[in-house]
Amino acid sequence: MAEVKVKKETNLSDATEVENRIKQLCQQFPHGITDQVIQNDMPQLEPQQRAMAINKLLSLGQLDLLRNSSGLLYRMKDVQSASKMKGSDNQEKLVYQVIEDAGNKGIWSRDIRFKSNLPLTEINKILKNLESKKLIKAVKSVAASKKKVYMLYNLQPDRSVTGGAWYSDQDFESEFVEVLNQQCFKFLQSKAELARDSKQSPMVQRNSSFATSHEVWKYISELGISKVDLSMDDIETILNTLIYDGKVEMTVIAAKEGTVGSVDGQMKLYRGVNPVIQPTGLVRTPCGLCPVFDDCHEGGEISPSNCIYMTEWLDF
Amino acid sequence: MHRGTLGKSNRRAEQGLPLSTNSSVGKMTAQEVRLCGLLLREHFGEVVEKVGTHLLKGGAQNLRTIIHETGISLDLVKKSLCVLVQHGACVFRSGRKGAGSPAEYQTCCDRILRILRYPRYIYTSKTLYGDTGELIIEELLQRGHMTMSGTVKTVADRLTQNMEEGRSMDYSEVSSTFFRLVETHFLQRCPPLAGPEPKDSATPAAPAPPGTPATPVSTAPPTPESFPDCYKVPHVTLVGRGKRQLASEDGEDQRNAKKAKMDSQTHGDEGICWQVNFERFHLHFRDQAIISAVANKLDQTSSEIVRTMLRMSEVTTSPTATCTKPLSANEIFRSLPTSYNIPRPILDQYLTLLIDDPMEFVGKAGESGGGMYVVNMHRALANLARATLESVVQERFGSRSARIFRLLLRKRHLEQKQVEDFAMIPAKEAKDMLYTLLSQNLVQLQEIPKTPDYAPSRTFYLYTVNQLPTARMLLQNCYKTVANLVERRLFESKESKRLLEKSQRIEAILASLQASGAEPEQLTEVEEMITAPEKQQLDALRLHINKLDSAENQVDETIFLLESYINSTASTS
Repeated sequence: MAEVKVKKETNLSDATEVENRIKQLCQQFPHGITDQVIQNDMPQLEPQQRAMAINKLLSLGQLDLLRNSSGLLYRMKDVQSASKMKGSDNQEKLVYQVIEDAGNKGIWSRDIRFKSNLPLTEINKILKNLESKKLIKAVKSVAASKKKVYMLYNLQPDRSVTGGAWYSDQDFESEFVEVLNQQCFKFLQSKAELARDSKQSPMVQRNSSFATSHEVWKYISELGISKVDLSMDDIETILNTLIYDGKVEMTVIAAKEGTVGSVDGQMKLYRGVNPVIQPTGLVRTPCGLCPVFDDCHEGGEISPSNCIYMTEWLDF
Repeated sequence: MHRGTLGKSNRRAEQGLPLSTNSSVGKMTAQEVRLCGLLLREHFGEVVEKVGTHLLKGGAQNLRTIIHETGISLDLVKKSLCVLVQHGACVFRSGRKGAGSPAEYQTCCDRILRILRYPRYIYTSKTLYGDTGELIIEELLQRGHMTMSGTVKTVADRLTQNMEEGRSMDYSEVSSTFFRLVETHFLQRCPPLAGPEPKDSATPAAPAPPGTPATPVSTAPPTPESFPDCYKVPHVTLVGRGKRQLASEDGEDQRNAKKAKMDSQTHGDEGICWQVNFERFHLHFRDQAIISAVANKLDQTSSEIVRTMLRMSEVTTSPTATCTKPLSANEIFRSLPTSYNIPRPILDQYLTLLIDDPMEFVGKAGESGGGMYVVNMHRALANLARATLESVVQERFGSRSARIFRLLLRKRHLEQKQVEDFAMIPAKEAKDMLYTLLSQNLVQLQEIPKTPDYAPSRTFYLYTVNQLPTARMLLQNCYKTVANLVERRLFESKESKRLLEKSQRIEAILASLQASGAEPEQLTEVEEMITAPEKQQLDALRLHINKLDSAENQVDETIFLLESYINSTASTS
């Protein structure tokens, strides 16, 4: 009898063997393997067996199915996440994936429906389920207060959703903004007064009354009136409101890259200014402020002769 | 037909639309006409008021029409027209229908509205030229036109009245002040009147150019400046001193006054009448406004520099220019008042700071002579008008609405969401404020459609502020406010008319008793005829009237700023 080469054949009909082999391949190629790779490794595997093994692994939640430009990819699934999804069915997994893809901007329930092609009732059930498992959370958007976006539980919502530093729980914090407004103005005003009292040449006076946005930011941070960390951009929006109040003016100068506080080679300088006129003559009379000015004429119900605002003003 | 036209004008008046569509008449609104009527009534009486307002509403009319439509007698109408012409409020020219038609009279409300500003003119001349200047301007404002000799004599008499016994004011002093007023162009000659028949093409003062007798008469009356002798003082022989008027009975006063009129001294300047040059005063006020704005925004020294620059360009700049002629830094340095000991480099620094200021009061026009600088008058007026608008919004609606208003002025067009974000005001409140401003017409809405059918969901709605129309609207509000104040003042006086008459009678009795040397008991007896509560009422009334008066002056300042801005914009565009 001739020597029979005993091929150490893996028992290909054993499904678990196939699955294990595929899993090993996945671990070898963490980016994912294509059908081609599996075929190269186990040429004798028939397509149906391969498909069965892959499906089994997918249903067990140990493989991730992805699609790329050249075809289907199979990737090893993270053990932790695999444990999370235990007990969930495919639909939930699909929804979870869609939400995960939305990152920290969150996704609206209608958009989930479009992406997953599931009916609305199903979506709602799944969302409730996932929420109770503490896998996702709903965040109210500041733009439209009735709209809820869903994102993964442990993600920080993006600024555009929560509104940034000025909103706490979807409420615009006007008092906080007011306080910051006044503090910035006081800082700039005292700087301007110091400069004026220094009695130096006018150019030096004016230059020393300027404060860069960085200086103001540092002052506000050191004051410690803000619970939230404010960035320099936030401070600049506050300073802009002071400009619109007519109390502050701004110039931009070119600054060397690398100087503290410069952005793109520019620095913004702010300084407190005085108003250019006193309150004008018209508003010193009751007519200038009268809410029924347009209804007033001689001989009517409201007329200068019987105007109660004038009477009060005259007796003041 | 008479009733019909009146009804139509009333309806248009209520809508605030201009009443006269006659293109040769400046468009005037109902508020302006109402204010002019009140001013005419206060200064000249009710008859002149009726004639004046009729002319304002109806455009150019001839005598017959005026008599027919107002129902006043020929005599009174003639006198009223005389008064109006004397004060320059009314001009006349030949009728439009050709050479032989009767003269037409036309009023313009601008001149009548100046009456509101008389106190400011008088005060300015007092600060510049002292009591003499004050009285000269006051006399000319009250009389309209007067010859130089007449003015000098009257002013000398008045000044003498207030001096101690035995002293009197010399005519030459008053004349010299008069010369100075003419030199600085505060007074000017009245333009010689146009000849009645322009058929004669050789008429020297006719506005129609000679050689084209068939041309219709030009619609604008000639300005005083178009005559070369406008500021030339005639050679006048005025020797003498002021006469003190003796205290005498009323009847004797009248006789004396009549005698003075028939005093046939001639002084060589008959027929040359003088009037106050309002435009020059307005330039002065405008300069003052710019200087005080610079003082408020920057500091005293900068405002002195700007004052020097404006003084240097007083005569070289035309009234309607947007900026002064360029002045070199060397010139400015030499012309600074000696009390300001600023070294030259510091002056340069101040000038640089003035240029860098965002309000752009001063601009740089070149580098020669150490730097050529101009004062940007139009820009300064625009900024002052803008500050006025912002001040009105702030006082009326609060500082957050003012923030939104300023934001829109800066950024021109913004959507609702952007307004909320930039102004950092919560959405609900911002919406409320924007809608309030919109309903008061201070803010306008601009629609930009994405689709041709203007569907609301597919259109951008942008908020915007237009400075010029808003300024015009506020100006009309100012006119209405002043009219309200005047009416309230007249009402208060009317209410207490009985009391006022009583107090006047008692004062007259007291004066006559004192003059004829009565005992103190008699005086106190007469004084006690006014009871204490009546005295209180009188005091309160005086306080009210003073308050209303000063409020009128304050609103007039706003009127001046807004009018200057509107005229300056109209002449530059």
